Amino acid sequence: MTAVRRAIGGDWAGLLAVLVLGGVAAAFLSPSFLTEFNIYVMLRSASVAVLVAFSQMIMLAVGQMNLSVGALGGLVAVLFGGMLERLGLPLIIAIPLALLVGVAGGLINGVLTSRTGVNGFIVTLATGSAFTGINLGLTESKPFHGVPREFVALGDSHWDFIPALLWPPLIVAPLLGVFLYHLKAGRWLLAVGGNPSAAQLSGVSADSMVILAHAISGGLSGLAAILAVAQLGAAQPETGAGWLLVSFAGPIIGGASLAGGSVSITGAFLAVLVIALIENVLVLANVDPYWVQFMLGALIMLTVGINRWRAIRAART
Amino acid sequence: MARHSRRENLTMRLGVRNVTKAFANIRALDGVSMEFAPGEIHALMGENGAGKSTLVKIITGVQRPDAGELSLDGRPAAFASPRDALAAGIGAVHQERNLIPLFSVGENIMLERLPTKSGVIDYAAIDRRAREALDLLDLGIDTRTQVARLSVAQMQLVEIAKALSLNARVLLLDEPTASITDHEAAALFAVLNRLKGEGVAIVFVSHKLDEVMAISDRVTVLRDGRLAASGEPISQVTRSRLVSLMIGREERRAEIARGRAPGETVLELAGVATSYGHANVNLVLRRFEILGLYGLVGAGRTELAKAVIGLGEITGGRLLVNGRPTVIHNPHEALTRRRIGYVSEDRKGEGLILSHPVGTNVAMTIWRRIASVLRLVSPSAERRAVKPFVDRLAIKATSLSQLVAALSGGNQQKVSIAKWLAAETHILIVDEPTVGIDIKTKVELHELIGGLSRQGVAVLLISSDMAEMIALADRIVVMHDFGVVGEIENDRRYETMSKAIMEKIHGADAPQPIGHDGLASP
Repeated sequence: MTAVRRAIGGDWAGLLAVLVLGGVAAAFLSPSFLTEFNIYVMLRSASVAVLVAFSQMIMLAVGQMNLSVGALGGLVAVLFGGMLERLGLPLIIAIPLALLVGVAGGLINGVLTSRTGVNGFIVTLATGSAFTGINLGLTESKPFHGVPREFVALGDSHWDFIPALLWPPLIVAPLLGVFLYHLKAGRWLLAVGGNPSAAQLSGVSADSMVILAHAISGGLSGLAAILAVAQLGAAQPETGAGWLLVSFAGPIIGGASLAGGSVSITGAFLAVLVIALIENVLVLANVDPYWVQFMLGALIMLTVGINRWRAIRAART
Repeated sequence: MARHSRRENLTMRLGVRNVTKAFANIRALDGVSMEFAPGEIHALMGENGAGKSTLVKIITGVQRPDAGELSLDGRPAAFASPRDALAAGIGAVHQERNLIPLFSVGENIMLERLPTKSGVIDYAAIDRRAREALDLLDLGIDTRTQVARLSVAQMQLVEIAKALSLNARVLLLDEPTASITDHEAAALFAVLNRLKGEGVAIVFVSHKLDEVMAISDRVTVLRDGRLAASGEPISQVTRSRLVSLMIGREERRAEIARGRAPGETVLELAGVATSYGHANVNLVLRRFEILGLYGLVGAGRTELAKAVIGLGEITGGRLLVNGRPTVIHNPHEALTRRRIGYVSEDRKGEGLILSHPVGTNVAMTIWRRIASVLRLVSPSAERRAVKPFVDRLAIKATSLSQLVAALSGGNQQKVSIAKWLAAETHILIVDEPTVGIDIKTKVELHELIGGLSRQGVAVLLISSDMAEMIALADRIVVMHDFGVVGEIENDRRYETMSKAIMEKIHGADAPQPIGHDGLASP
């Protein structure tokens, strides 16, 4: 069934195998791995990371990068916190407003990139710094703790080992699949990523697609920020500071092409779970957190290296 | 949909009036006017760089003219983007391949008008409508195949099918038959004739004389961005007249007399095949000689040069330098161990570092030699090493520290040659040395290249400029489709040589004589 294969995209069976084998190995190595609480904690932190990975993935799809994913997330988090604590807005209003801030930040990135013709890498490097500046200027680095109790409870709630926070990424993933593989805009977005000049000659506006991708990217990083607030129980100004690595690691390990036009939603999802598993195992094994960082870097190098090797082999045959 | 029904009876006349387009002071098109009428196949011919593709790009909204205008049925029209041109009913197959490699054939054909059912893409409809488009050309390609898996010929056919399915009222095809077989071309021509009967205005860009003579009604010839013939009925033009219209008569040429008898062989390719796709290339380059490599754009000349200096891989046959079989892994090895230099056709992209001074650019090839014990390169050593060459080539720069970006095109080219002179290369490959260079400097460069060969440098000259080739080369190897189709001793008589060369190229297109397959077989 091609429709199903399209929706899934790429070959992620290897990642699934790594995830299962890694899980089994971890269960044997550490008795505390397979506890309900450990799995729940692992999945809860992965929930935010999956959305962060999707936020970058949509940029890779259109053939661009977004270095402001984390900075925008941080800004959304504190504005969301401010709306709840200072303005006393109900969640039903604060959540859509916070998402709108994310989309607006993305639109700024997109419009700046397409109108000025400046490389998106530089544009988002600059806007990222600006977003962080606004964040710190508003908060003076102090978190907002006045988050409604029911929202924090939602962040902690779980059904068996499945955290409630896993639902947003579980819902977003198929929506992205429908968008990228079954809507015109999504196809055009991937077409621009695959070959911008060909897409343009076919009458597709590359500029509009870049702006659209940025808007979606901003919205997703805003959503990730809202989840992060629920997870932490407070709106921390430093939210998003460590997102950049996972934002690229997820889609790329998941099989996305850095050249653009090719991504795998399932692949990115599984890649984030594998990263969370590795982090978890290293923590259970009492490995120094700094080495966890090193291992992640090595993992990215390894996957990209394997992909490159496979591409060269495929080209030879 | 609207366009679909509108077309049934409507036809459109496309006019081009006084269109001029320049790129960095080079006029690609200089005040050209022509008209494409409904129900006619209008051939657009010209040599490389004559301005054909620029004209196609202007008509399809990819580029905007500097002056002049387009008209549709007599009314002025301006296209800000390809989208506007498409909406006006102008469809095109461009020379470069324009498909999304990871998308299916069907999606590529339907890309700008993906059918949807309540907002969701209807893949079944894509397959159905793409199938109809492919059937026009009698193509058995599965619409669900990923484009990246197709052959180059299949990709070209998919693009043609796509253009045909647009139901355009004006259809432009830029070298549509460059990489397809005769059978496929025949199917294309049948469709074009049918569309012509339906009143479509067809613009057919090609360098294949036989095709043009066979299917077109009128022919327009461009030469150096100007009209050499405008809309002449094909019935009144002979094949040989077309050739001379394309080539024109060149008065301006440097007199480069043959210096002395050629010396020993320094570079030899014996049955060479490369990773770029060359097959069975044979050529011999000797000291005191300029060997010309002529061919149309896309014949594989630059790629052959790059394979020699180690940028591409030689996958078959032998490369001999000074009589010894040699493997060159990279340009560094080519320069330092084999003394082979390559003056790139892409001066700005590959030949120079524009943001660096003249001195640095010239000295780059010899830093290793002029470095001191500590491997430091001093500005004064650089100056001393470079000065003689800058003087000898009469490079007009305010000083050695002037940035190359600030020089004229001709002087930039001199700098890119000077760096190889400084490196004392024995074999110099010069690729399109005078593209976009004014006549006076062109003659200077010709004399310079002639002088080098007299001093014993073996020169391999790649040029698409027929006059230049005939003025400079001692022997001319003609390439077509990544193979050698002939070798001619240059008698320096323009009339006979240009005819002989063109015949070799166009003869290669004909089905029976030396074709691609004939070359590939050992």
